Amino acid sequence: MRTIPSAVRTALVTAITAVGLTAASLQAQAASQDDINALREQIRQLDQKLRALERNTEIKDETAAAEAKKQPKITINDKGVSFASADGANYLKLRGLLQADSRWFFGADGPNNNDAFLIRRARLIFEGGFAKNYEYLLVPEFGGGSGNGTLTLLDAYINVNLKPQFQIRAGRFREPVGLEQLQSDAVAFFAERSIVSQFVPNRDIGVQLWGDLFNGTLGYAVGAFNGVPDGTNNSTNSDINNEKNFAARLFAQPFKNDKDSALAGLGFGVAGSIGKENNNAGSLTSGYRTDGQQTWFSYSAAKTTAPLTTGVVGDGNVSRISPQAYYYYGPFGLLAEYVVSSVEVRNQRTTAPASTNHKKLENYAWQISAGYVLTGEDAGYKGVTPASNFSLADGTWGAFEVVARIEHADIDDKAFSGPATTRLADITKSATAAGAYGLGLNWYLSKTVRASFDYFHTDFKLAPGAVPAGTSVIAHDENAFVTRLQLTF
Amino acid sequence: MKLITTLLAAVALTSAALSKDVELLNVSYDPTRELYVDYNTAFAAYWKAKTGDTVTIKQSHGGSGKQARSVIDGLKADVVTLALAADVDAIYENAKLLPKDWQKRLPDNSAPYTSTIVFLVRKGNPQNIKDWDDLVKKGVSIVTPNPKTSGGARWNYLAAWGYALKKYGSDDKAKEFVAKLYKNVPVLDSGARGATTTFVQRGIGDVAISWENEAYLAVKEFGADKFEIIVPSVSILAEPTLSVVDKVAKKKGTTEVAKAYLEYLYSDEGQEIAARNFYRPRNEQILAKYSANFAKIDLFTIDGVFGGWTNAQKTHFADGGIFDEIYLKK
Repeated sequence: MRTIPSAVRTALVTAITAVGLTAASLQAQAASQDDINALREQIRQLDQKLRALERNTEIKDETAAAEAKKQPKITINDKGVSFASADGANYLKLRGLLQADSRWFFGADGPNNNDAFLIRRARLIFEGGFAKNYEYLLVPEFGGGSGNGTLTLLDAYINVNLKPQFQIRAGRFREPVGLEQLQSDAVAFFAERSIVSQFVPNRDIGVQLWGDLFNGTLGYAVGAFNGVPDGTNNSTNSDINNEKNFAARLFAQPFKNDKDSALAGLGFGVAGSIGKENNNAGSLTSGYRTDGQQTWFSYSAAKTTAPLTTGVVGDGNVSRISPQAYYYYGPFGLLAEYVVSSVEVRNQRTTAPASTNHKKLENYAWQISAGYVLTGEDAGYKGVTPASNFSLADGTWGAFEVVARIEHADIDDKAFSGPATTRLADITKSATAAGAYGLGLNWYLSKTVRASFDYFHTDFKLAPGAVPAGTSVIAHDENAFVTRLQLTF
Repeated sequence: MKLITTLLAAVALTSAALSKDVELLNVSYDPTRELYVDYNTAFAAYWKAKTGDTVTIKQSHGGSGKQARSVIDGLKADVVTLALAADVDAIYENAKLLPKDWQKRLPDNSAPYTSTIVFLVRKGNPQNIKDWDDLVKKGVSIVTPNPKTSGGARWNYLAAWGYALKKYGSDDKAKEFVAKLYKNVPVLDSGARGATTTFVQRGIGDVAISWENEAYLAVKEFGADKFEIIVPSVSILAEPTLSVVDKVAKKKGTTEVAKAYLEYLYSDEGQEIAARNFYRPRNEQILAKYSANFAKIDLFTIDGVFGGWTNAQKTHFADGGIFDEIYLKK
């Protein structure tokens, strides 16, 4: 048997092994390429699935965002609660005002009012609109001056807002006369408005054309109303006679849109009303009040014991004219107004010999109020917004504002002249003039909460020969301290 | 002579003083953005020359069905230029903002240009897609918008149905075919432009069923090196329709200019602009001039196969219709 030389055998084994290995390697390579292709396809499909998933999420988000735009919006913040349709054309805002006051009289004997805690105002405010142009306001009052918690309807009007320049308001609202009277109760410098607001009409029922012209730099209002006495709301939901009052106001803010101007916060104007009142005591003020809300002047009432009188009634023309201005610059604010209130009145003695005392009275009042926000926030006709809330945890204190006011009111001397029987005012109960000043501190704990501490001093000028009773308001200067904790939203 | 000069100057000044600014809102469907950008410029120049008035046309685009719904809900459109007659019909039926016979007011069924449905595939056509049958193969991923909101998607759907009906001979077979097709759709955009975004920019799918003009626009904008157009053997004649929204235009005092705006689409200039934007013009001469852009396809009409839009809408796309059945099963 022939044997294969070892060298040849070695070469042969090597060759066979090499061929075997090569074949195995090629087979392995082919298998690997298929796997790679399969993996590639798998990756492509997974990539497609992932992309589709992402795109579907994107579309879902877009659809959700588009749908969200169509959903009604509910907003709850420090301006109250509001519900609005997706396009904002229809909305309802629920707001409120609550004032918990205390009044303290001191320094002299005989004030008529007791020291007291009281709910000065407690209001729910329903403000809304439909189809962008049709707005409304409903304000029921649960507190009020009487303090007996009787529910009254304070504001109730519809406003057709055709354009900012041309709007029509009808219902019950403030007549466009007094500058401070037209300011929101919640943001005035002092807890109580000045004596001037006692000489202008308050809320009345009527219709008013109004708007802002020239990019908001000139406001106008003109309206027809039932007519209300000075400082008084309409209380009859009707008119006490057939005569109507007409009120108008022009108010300019010429630099309003020049935000960098030092005069941007300047506003000035003139307002007035004119009308006629006949033979009705309800057409006259029930009394002018001090800052402490005590009556220092009222017209003579009917006498029921001889000699009899009718008491004072309106009997002729009534009018008011009021130049007014404010100026706000940074933390500083100033508000001033003057009013002349003219009224024709009559008192009659019915016991023989009968006589009539008919006079035209011109009563006037003025005030200057100023404030300075110690913490630097901007002052404004619409109030102060604190930069931070009062928080012990955060060590922030809100905003502080000091305020001061001087004011004066003068009743026509003719009210105190003539025979005592038919005199228009009782000189023992009514003063011919009242002068007052006030000092106060407002603490804005947040955008919604304000605490105020006001001191008012009022002195009275008596008619010649007047000797008021010791318990009469006008017998002594009035020193009043009024505190308030207010929530408004 | 001085008198004549003075009179001419007075007439010119009076004309200038009387000319006015007019604004129109054209509420249209997704892929017409580019068409109306071009057309609005041309029409504004034409109208200025004709009347002295300056007309500004605002455009609003979205899925055709959604756009019609917006007009019904109060969007103040002077004119609508929508993907299909059914959407304009919906404006009549739901809001009565235009007359029932709106489609008879302008030539060619108020469709001054037409289009059709083609396939947009990635360069090299990796899935070797040639015709509708290739779309229902396993593993082929299709992009087409939602027929409930998109007019283009309804044309896509009906084109597929018409093909299947012709090839397989029955509505049941056509339904089965279309159901298979939608099984291969991973994403349903609300409009044609969204679907183009899905296919072109998001890289999803092997084929997009598309308006012809939208497909050409994608190739033009994103490159012939990335996409190519496949023309199927059979497709549908798509007739985007338009109308003045009478009540809105009357209220805005724009009726005259709104009418002229639509009529000018039939002018030579209007037809040229349509053709340049890959819409098939009605004018035969202009169509011939741009014939290179428009492949010859066997086109069937909606009236011929489906008995008109009203029938097609009710049978296929209304709530509870065949599309809902098919897609919910998916």
